[in-house]
Amino acid sequence: MDAVRMPYLNRTLLLLLFLLLFLLLGQIRTAEARKHGQRVRRWTGTEETQKHGASLPKKPPDVTKSRKTKTEHLLKVDDHDFTMRPAFGGPPIPVGVDVQVESLDSISEVDMDFTMTLYLRHYWKDERLSFSSSTNKSMTFDGRLVKKIWVPDVFFVHSKRSFIHDTTTDNIMLRVFPDGHVLYSLRVTVTAACNMDFSRFPLDSQTCSLELESYAYTDEDLMLYWKSGDESLSTDDRISLSQFLIQKFHTTSRLAFYSSTGWYNRLYINFTLRRHIFFFLLQTYFPATLMVMLSWVSFWIDRRAVPARVSLGITTVLTMSTIITGVNASMPRVSYIKAVDIYLWVSFVFVFLSVLEYAAVNYLSTVQDRRERKMRERARSQSLPCTCSISQTQTMTMMDGTYSEADTNSLAGYTEEPMVPEDEPEEKQKAPEKSEHMVVHLSMSSESAGIKKRKSLRALNIIQNTHAIDKYSRMIFPGSYIFFNLIYWSVYC
Amino acid sequence: MRPGFGGSAIPVGIDVQVESIDSISEVNMDFTMTLYLRHYWKDERLSFPSRNNQSRTFDSRLVKKIWVPDVFFVHSKRSFIHDTTMENIMLRVYPDGNILYSVRVTVTALCSMDFSRFPLDTQNCSLELESYAYNENDLMLYWKNGNDSLRTDEIVLSQFFIEHFHASSGLAFYSSTGWYNRLFINFILRRHIFFFMLQTYFPTMLMVVLSWVSFWIDRRAVPARVSLGITTVLTMSTIITGVSSSMPQVSYVKAVDIYLWTSFLFVFLSVIEYAAVNYCTTLEEMRKMRRGKIPSTFNASQAMAFDGCYHDNDIELTPFPRMASTLASNPLTTQSQNSDLRPPEGTRLRRQRSVRENVDLLVNNSYMIDSYSRLAFPLSYLLFNTVYWSMYS
Repeated sequence: MDAVRMPYLNRTLLLLLFLLLFLLLGQIRTAEARKHGQRVRRWTGTEETQKHGASLPKKPPDVTKSRKTKTEHLLKVDDHDFTMRPAFGGPPIPVGVDVQVESLDSISEVDMDFTMTLYLRHYWKDERLSFSSSTNKSMTFDGRLVKKIWVPDVFFVHSKRSFIHDTTTDNIMLRVFPDGHVLYSLRVTVTAACNMDFSRFPLDSQTCSLELESYAYTDEDLMLYWKSGDESLSTDDRISLSQFLIQKFHTTSRLAFYSSTGWYNRLYINFTLRRHIFFFLLQTYFPATLMVMLSWVSFWIDRRAVPARVSLGITTVLTMSTIITGVNASMPRVSYIKAVDIYLWVSFVFVFLSVLEYAAVNYLSTVQDRRERKMRERARSQSLPCTCSISQTQTMTMMDGTYSEADTNSLAGYTEEPMVPEDEPEEKQKAPEKSEHMVVHLSMSSESAGIKKRKSLRALNIIQNTHAIDKYSRMIFPGSYIFFNLIYWSVYC
Repeated sequence: MRPGFGGSAIPVGIDVQVESIDSISEVNMDFTMTLYLRHYWKDERLSFPSRNNQSRTFDSRLVKKIWVPDVFFVHSKRSFIHDTTMENIMLRVYPDGNILYSVRVTVTALCSMDFSRFPLDTQNCSLELESYAYNENDLMLYWKNGNDSLRTDEIVLSQFFIEHFHASSGLAFYSSTGWYNRLFINFILRRHIFFFMLQTYFPTMLMVVLSWVSFWIDRRAVPARVSLGITTVLTMSTIITGVSSSMPQVSYVKAVDIYLWTSFLFVFLSVIEYAAVNYCTTLEEMRKMRRGKIPSTFNASQAMAFDGCYHDNDIELTPFPRMASTLASNPLTTQSQNSDLRPPEGTRLRRQRSVRENVDLLVNNSYMIDSYSRLAFPLSYLLFNTVYWSMYS
């Protein structure tokens, strides 16, 4: 038995040896190939062994690796060096560009940039990719072929961040026509800088542009142009921004010069945006106007209601200050004045002036009362009749939390006592709480004229408990604010 | 391996074109800049024969196959080479082996900022380039055209004005690895004051002026003056908080802090002033009540009970209290019946007053605090402003 097995053992051993030898040979060849700079064709394993003529039994062909539909072979990708552009060393290659804007995602004033998503399509001709075809139909590939062939290196000048979408795979399409024309399309989101001028904010229009340029190739190597002129730029119908109205999209092209690298073709996508004013009307202008009108309410309140008028005035100032801070929080820190700033600050000044107006009214009333009291005292010391009292409780209940100097000429504390010996019937009547007379005061120096004057003054002062400043303010403030509004809106609209 | 490996250092020229300065952040103390960075060197291994001496341009895929200098940005926080639609890299090879290698980079780098004069400050920032692996024995970095190597597009910043861009170079020593060539891109930024004038200084000034309004209002209007005072304090406090939120939390005092806190102090003092006036007035009334100058039926606390308003002009406002002739019961009042308005203490105005008498004077005439404040507060605030602006401008 042993003698028979031996020859079989030897044959299998020999077979194994041959296999080993063959594998070794294969390794050496690939090593040689690598030394000479050729790419190791790892994809075409089985074909390679066949080409190199090793006599190995053929394995049954794997249908998924059918040679006819192999991209690389069909397009002869491996035969050319695609790190070099088509017609390398020759005339510049023209590359047509076509853009479809999918959306304008956001426009940021604080960062002064905008974010746009677009489909960017390139059209050029690469002879090396032409293939024979009977039906003249194109072949479509996705992103994986892009790494192997030459594509134009277009970039967005002045872009801050950009990326090619890659869900679920790279959003890249490559379509190769039999004659070598290539359509290369990708979906990009780019955030680019846009210089904005806010001097008319929020009644402003901004013009922004997105610029495309080749990074490496100057206009002697690559000519970028808009494929269909102005129609190359198309937009989805549904582009809409919440804050802006998109007025116009149009394309231009120019040459850009870099001193160290030369002239480059640059394509521009320009668009004009007009801001919707409604939001700012509701958010800023309307509250500011209301605050100013609220401050005018103070002129109609009795000037003796000191806490009321003062707190009305300063609370409107505080609210205006809050509105101003709120607007500036969402704006960049520019060094010039904006239209909305003008409006808010003028309104702030109006509100501020209403507080000052009341301070003036109050001060002047105090001075006036002091003068009148002095004269009354003089009159009293000269034993002139004086009708000047009112119960203080009356005034207190009339205007809560106020003093009323006009009313309390009456010496509050000693209303009762002095009046009694005076024997004035009038005052006796007034002493009880039911009196409703307002204050009457006299300022007399002489007796005779005094009596006449007294009566007229009394009548006058009863009716007029408002100060002249208030009366004028009721007309001047609204008038001037309306005038300011007329000027402002006619200038900016 | 680098060109000339084992031999002399390879000189690499650098050229920079600054595209934009995207943002300068005070809170993070950094700035973000986008620039075109170009390297020039010679690699004999890449020379090729050419009849017309024209260069060949390649994009990023060749970069992986050849040697390029490994320049990095010292003190950078984040940086990236833009890669839409392809990596923004250009390689241009000349027949003699000279290479131009250009990349478009956005880099966020650290800048130590000094805020002691904020917002009237000037910041000095710099971007530093250095080779990571090769020290000066292997790679010599230099500015290709001296100071002209640094070019800028029209850079417009909203908050700053760029005064000066200049390039410099130096050597940096690392104790473990040796000496390296370092190139600096320096720029000086001056802040525009206008925004802060409108946003901070102007509201502050208005609030201080508003607090002075309180001195002109009758001192008997207690609720009015108190609410005026504390609302201005509240608004000042809000302004201060608003400014601090956009600033880093530094350990020294900034110029804007000085202004805001001094104004806050002024507003605070106006509230304290009114408290003093009110207290003195109360004391005055008590004293007068004690001396019988006002009838005992007058209940001061009750008079104030409604809203803190006083009801008697005469008691508070007149410096020379006169009484009705009917209060003859009180012997002290007879003095005040003089119609020539002489003060009871006749020689008060003439002789030297002791401290106690001064205090008495003040208490008796609390209106004077207001009168003096009407002058003192505006004048001292004006003085403070003059000193502040002359010092910082």
